Amino acid sequence: MIKQSLAIMKRELFYMWRDKGMRNIMLFGPLLGLLLFAGVYSYQRVGDIPTAIVDLDHSSASRQVVMGLENAKDLKVVAYPETYDELEKLIHKGDAIVGIVIPENYGKDVDLRRQTKIAVMIDGTNMAYATNATTAVLTVTRTLGAEAGIKTLIAQGIEPDQAKEAYQSIEFREEAWFNPTLNYAYFLVLAFALNMWQQFSTLASCMNVVGEKGFGSWIQIKASGISRLKLFFNKSLVHIFVIMLIVLPIYFFAFVVFKLPLASSWSMLLLFTFAFAVALHSLGTLMSSIFSNAINASRFGMVVALPSFVISGFTWPLEAMPQWFQPIAWILPQTWFFQGINYLSFKNPGWEFISHYLLILGLMAVLFYSLAALAARLREKAFR
Amino acid sequence: MRQILNIAHYEIAHILRDKILLLIVFIVPLFYAVLFGIIYIAGTLQHVPLGIVDLDHSVESREIVSTFENTPNFKVIPEVNDYAGLEAGMKNGAIRAGVVIPEDYSQKLSQHQLTEILTVYDGSNMIYGLNSRKYLQQVLNTFSAGQTAAYLGGLGMTKKEITNVMDTVSFSMQVWYNPTFSYTTFIFMGLVVMILHQVGFMSISLTVTREKEQNSWIQFVSTAVPSWKIFVGKAIPYFIANFFNYGLLLWFSARFIDVKIGGSVALILLLGLLFNIIIVSLGFVISLYAPNSLQITRYLMIMSVPLFVISGYTWPSTHIPEVLNKIAQSMPYTWMANGFRLVTLKDWGFADMSMTLAVLAGMAVLTSFFALTFSKCRKPLVQTGLVVNETTSYPRKR
Repeated sequence: MIKQSLAIMKRELFYMWRDKGMRNIMLFGPLLGLLLFAGVYSYQRVGDIPTAIVDLDHSSASRQVVMGLENAKDLKVVAYPETYDELEKLIHKGDAIVGIVIPENYGKDVDLRRQTKIAVMIDGTNMAYATNATTAVLTVTRTLGAEAGIKTLIAQGIEPDQAKEAYQSIEFREEAWFNPTLNYAYFLVLAFALNMWQQFSTLASCMNVVGEKGFGSWIQIKASGISRLKLFFNKSLVHIFVIMLIVLPIYFFAFVVFKLPLASSWSMLLLFTFAFAVALHSLGTLMSSIFSNAINASRFGMVVALPSFVISGFTWPLEAMPQWFQPIAWILPQTWFFQGINYLSFKNPGWEFISHYLLILGLMAVLFYSLAALAARLREKAFR
Repeated sequence: MRQILNIAHYEIAHILRDKILLLIVFIVPLFYAVLFGIIYIAGTLQHVPLGIVDLDHSVESREIVSTFENTPNFKVIPEVNDYAGLEAGMKNGAIRAGVVIPEDYSQKLSQHQLTEILTVYDGSNMIYGLNSRKYLQQVLNTFSAGQTAAYLGGLGMTKKEITNVMDTVSFSMQVWYNPTFSYTTFIFMGLVVMILHQVGFMSISLTVTREKEQNSWIQFVSTAVPSWKIFVGKAIPYFIANFFNYGLLLWFSARFIDVKIGGSVALILLLGLLFNIIIVSLGFVISLYAPNSLQITRYLMIMSVPLFVISGYTWPSTHIPEVLNKIAQSMPYTWMANGFRLVTLKDWGFADMSMTLAVLAGMAVLTSFFALTFSKCRKPLVQTGLVVNETTSYPRKR
């Protein structure tokens, strides 16, 4: 009995190994991906935003503003163009993301307590730059505006202490929780690698049923009298085992070598990943039982697997998608997985929270496997 | 000419008969565009769930609360009202940002002592994190301006005097090219170009392997039709379909998703043309040398994420190591996606785009050279190892 199961497993492992394309993809793909993404995000933060300052005034007051900007967090002054036109060109060409213009007579106006306006331009095409640049500008302008205001008040004869208090009675402290430095690498490297992993796993599991039909070995197996349940159970066991085996080096490199954050325990992470592997495999099996050959099953598996990362709300939040679309997104096991991974790696939300996710993934697996069995049955009837 | 048209006709017949190929060529691009369009339709992140822990419960602290209540960027979640609740809410995702007002806030304010307001935001999702941080800064800037005005009013200044003091130095902030900070404008077209890239490759790269799998490639190789005619004939239907999809998706994006597509139409068409030539000819070359259809499908599909990430379209290439930038620059997607953005958003002209156009044109010449002059030596399908797609579903006459 067990011998038979072992024989099936051995055969399946052998088949997977012989599928050279698949073997290469599975062995090297996710790891190469992880290394690549770690390389891309090795700067980790969008700091040093290229900034250009046009100082039309050249007074000591304007130079103070320039100094304030030079010392601002996340801004890096790269050019001091002479005119507004030159600045416009720099931003247009993408050489500067932030542009600042200090008007003529700035120093004079400040001294005479006349109103003056400093213009700030931000290139909004790349949001990774734009949001950071805006925050940096908002912070520095508040400080600069306060400094100027205090000076004016003192010049008007108000006590320095009072003048200061008018502007600085409340201090604002900001804290980024879970990812204190707003590190992009922490956020995206593992997620992208896991996205590739789930795509490969979909490809592999799409071979579950159709593989047998493709090999023409179906008749042989039927003749051998092994029950379908047993056959596919053992085959699936091997697939899931392999899928899990591949994720281990990803986790190892991510958490041990690259030291990405992992808030939860390893056992929780692995248990959760296992639940997802089963659910994902069930979806692949469903695909492979619906379609008549490996190419089509792979194609349709990928139709689901490719956009699933975008749908999962890992980057662009689910809550920002249309209300009616959100329940649809939650149908995919990938949505549960990527949401869960985010919580596990940053927040350690606890067993109660994750058990809910595990339960849903488990139910999905049951549903998709049953549908796959049903579909396979129907197809077989159609063949007769 | 007649030979070319014959081959094209034959290829069209193939596309029409293979239902899945037909779907991939005509339905899948629009399907993906609609899907991503739905996801990104909102464009900006608003109503970030915010928890306010007001430990002071004074008139002054109520003012802060109402400032936050009155901005569409935040949605105040009333259930969160103590620090433990804030921590729990941040952990389970019920809130993504928080404000803590200390218990002695109004007291210190009246005694003219320094008091501190704590703001927190969730860094586990960068879009939430960065936007919440920006929104918090905006609200606090407004709020502290109000505080200053009130303080000066307390000193007996008139309204006009207060404005004069506070506006001595003011800052006007303009956001160029994408003034609403729309994520749709930012990321959606990059995804659309990726769809066109992948679907373009998917459809043409099966054209030769399919012939090989049906044992009909020999017919092409052995007849007296030159290589270039075979390529042109086979490529024409895909070329037209790709260009049709390019136009369709651009129209759809501009009309329904509200993506900003400006700039020179001639440049947009030229970019599309060059990109299309590269895809069609490179896809054909891949198809010539690939072992079989299944492997192509697999390898192509998994390329999409790395290509997108490395291209510098989202994460700026100034912050990517040089080695990886070099690799990215050898990919047509990098040039097309970034070039398209520069034309449509920043209105780059022919002169600005000369580099991009030259590189894409170079790639087009190179790839079409290899496609036009392929050797007609017969390379049979790889038969060693596992031939998994033995049974193809290509419709045949029964």
